[in-house]
Amino acid sequence: MTEDKVSGAEPGKGEGAEKTVFIQDELGLHARPAAKLAQAAQRFSSQITLEYEDMTVDAKSILDILSLAAGRGASLTIRCKGEDADLAAEQLERLFIMPPDMEQRAGNS
Amino acid sequence: MAKAVLQGIAVSTGIAVGKCFFLNRGPGSVRHVTVAADKVESEAIRLVEAVEAVAASFAGARELLDDSAGGIQVEVLDSHLLICRDPKLSGEALKRVREQRMSAEWALEETVSSIAETFSRIVSPYIRERMEDVRLVADRIIRHLSGDASAQSTGNERGILLAHDLSPGDAIGLNPERIFSFATEQGGKTSHTGILARSLRIPALVGVTGLCDSLRGGELLIVDALKGRLLVEPDEAELAEYLQVQEQYAAYDMRIRKLAARPAETLDGQRIAVLANVESAAEAGTVLKSGGEGVGLVRTEFGYITRATLPDEEELYNEYRAMAEALAPGKVTFRTLDVGAEKVFSGRVVPDEANPALGLRAIRYCIRHQDIFRTQLRAVLRASAHGNVSLMFPLISGVGELRLAKSILNEAKQELAAGRIPFDREMPVGIMVELPSAVLMADDLAREVDFFSIGTNDLIQYSLGVDRGNRHVAHMHQPLHPAIVRAIKQVVDMAHREGISVSVCGEMAADPYCLPILLGMPVDELSLAPQSIPAIKHLIRHSDADKCRQLLSHALGAPTIRSISNMVRQLLYQCFPEDVSFFVSQQSMDA
Repeated sequence: MTEDKVSGAEPGKGEGAEKTVFIQDELGLHARPAAKLAQAAQRFSSQITLEYEDMTVDAKSILDILSLAAGRGASLTIRCKGEDADLAAEQLERLFIMPPDMEQRAGNS
Repeated sequence: MAKAVLQGIAVSTGIAVGKCFFLNRGPGSVRHVTVAADKVESEAIRLVEAVEAVAASFAGARELLDDSAGGIQVEVLDSHLLICRDPKLSGEALKRVREQRMSAEWALEETVSSIAETFSRIVSPYIRERMEDVRLVADRIIRHLSGDASAQSTGNERGILLAHDLSPGDAIGLNPERIFSFATEQGGKTSHTGILARSLRIPALVGVTGLCDSLRGGELLIVDALKGRLLVEPDEAELAEYLQVQEQYAAYDMRIRKLAARPAETLDGQRIAVLANVESAAEAGTVLKSGGEGVGLVRTEFGYITRATLPDEEELYNEYRAMAEALAPGKVTFRTLDVGAEKVFSGRVVPDEANPALGLRAIRYCIRHQDIFRTQLRAVLRASAHGNVSLMFPLISGVGELRLAKSILNEAKQELAAGRIPFDREMPVGIMVELPSAVLMADDLAREVDFFSIGTNDLIQYSLGVDRGNRHVAHMHQPLHPAIVRAIKQVVDMAHREGISVSVCGEMAADPYCLPILLGMPVDELSLAPQSIPAIKHLIRHSDADKCRQLLSHALGAPTIRSISNMVRQLLYQCFPEDVSFFVSQQSMDA
């Protein structure tokens, strides 16, 4: 479901962490999950970016997230840099993991 | 003579007289000013303060909502709050103030256009539409910056509320006891303003062209939400006349509402069922209060459109069951998902089509996306165990398509039966007759279903080839066109020959000028907006079915809209000389 690429913290740039996630919601990264993601990201002091294809955007900006227009199946890299980077990466990753009943539904369709 | 008369669309009927005030005026023109170098920091602070003030107003409205209102408004306000504080909006604007010495308003305007450019490249119309939210938020901040007093309206003014547009957030801060009426420049029949006004039972107009430009606030206005117009600074004669009309309308309205619960039976004993068109279970109370005997049309797509993710079976079942239980033993007729055309629902995107009205919509969409269709069918079937539930398929074009839809329904039934999940095995299944092909095939179709429901809006559009949203031809959308009258007659005759009932659920059902024609057919059931039910029931109770039959037989031989329209008018003026002035008609009588 997710791949850990525990990156070594680059010297002088604080802690770093990244996660690769896949969008499972069949509607893609639309307004509601984008809002949730931005709200969650804003709780951390780390600098958090999302990478999708050749785009890199600020995960604390709902407008930025929406501008990715990432659809179902898209693979995103969450990159966190800062003191709470590990925690941020872990918590943001969770937003992309579907609750079991949703998975079942996705499987049924 | 009034100083000016503005035209609008009446979304909640009645007459209001009073002084007006503006809640907001929409985007004003922004002055492009370069700030002196030593003033840059104070300009930046001005911007930050405005952003925070507007964010606080969203947060305030959001708090008020928590207990009472539904999820959609909360979601709207949450996203407005996020956008307001978004680094891409306020952050970029701040950068423009500091680096390019732009005034705060100008900086915001520039930022919005650069965001708009990014969004315009997004294919998904659902995401592209979020740009409207960005504009709304930026507009609020700009109004706050320009010190537009109306932007800080406390909602304590008494009188007629004017606005460029009303957002759910705006509406919450208002004190309904002090507002006699609404008028907005934006909006259509189904806008939030109309729904709000109808729930408060105050007259309202939307789509009033020139409202913000020609009014300053403080003028005396007459809102005529019977004829759909707004009189600015009326003279004494007009005022006297309207005060009288207002009084008469209020008395009339009260009288017909008191009697709304009585059955709709004509003077000579013909009974016709009058049901309501609704969008959600929340309206069940209104249906009963208005005298609706049940629901003839549940527009189920509203449960899909107003949200970002697809509803699951449980959610749908709970909503449908609540509706069935609230109205039992009254009937509740669910129309399966009618989406498509350019509409987007639940974030799913219907592909761009050159001719959306002729494209992948309604039953065609459901047959293509059977997962969505099955989920809904199972939810309706399960709800059928809890009340008097019927199901109908929209936009059926022929027997083959109907059989396909029914076979999917049967599979859903078998699944439920296998899982020992209860449902009504005898649940009536019908179709919407909306296409000329369905009219021509009515006899064959009637043998395959339990009832017909004629969707007149689409039937008129497809039969006359008129897009009612296109202002160049909208006037040609005429329910009393001889072709429409004859088509309905054919459908009713074929249905009755096969022993099934016919309902009419388009706007024609609520139009007093069409009622005599429909009574003459005779249709078995009318389904209309709850607020129009008391008036239509009142008219039915004072109609003579025999006269209506005679009228129809003449109308069936008439070659023009005008001739039919004249016949109907004559009958109505003869039978309802006092009521006629309170009728709101969908059709232009000058055709």
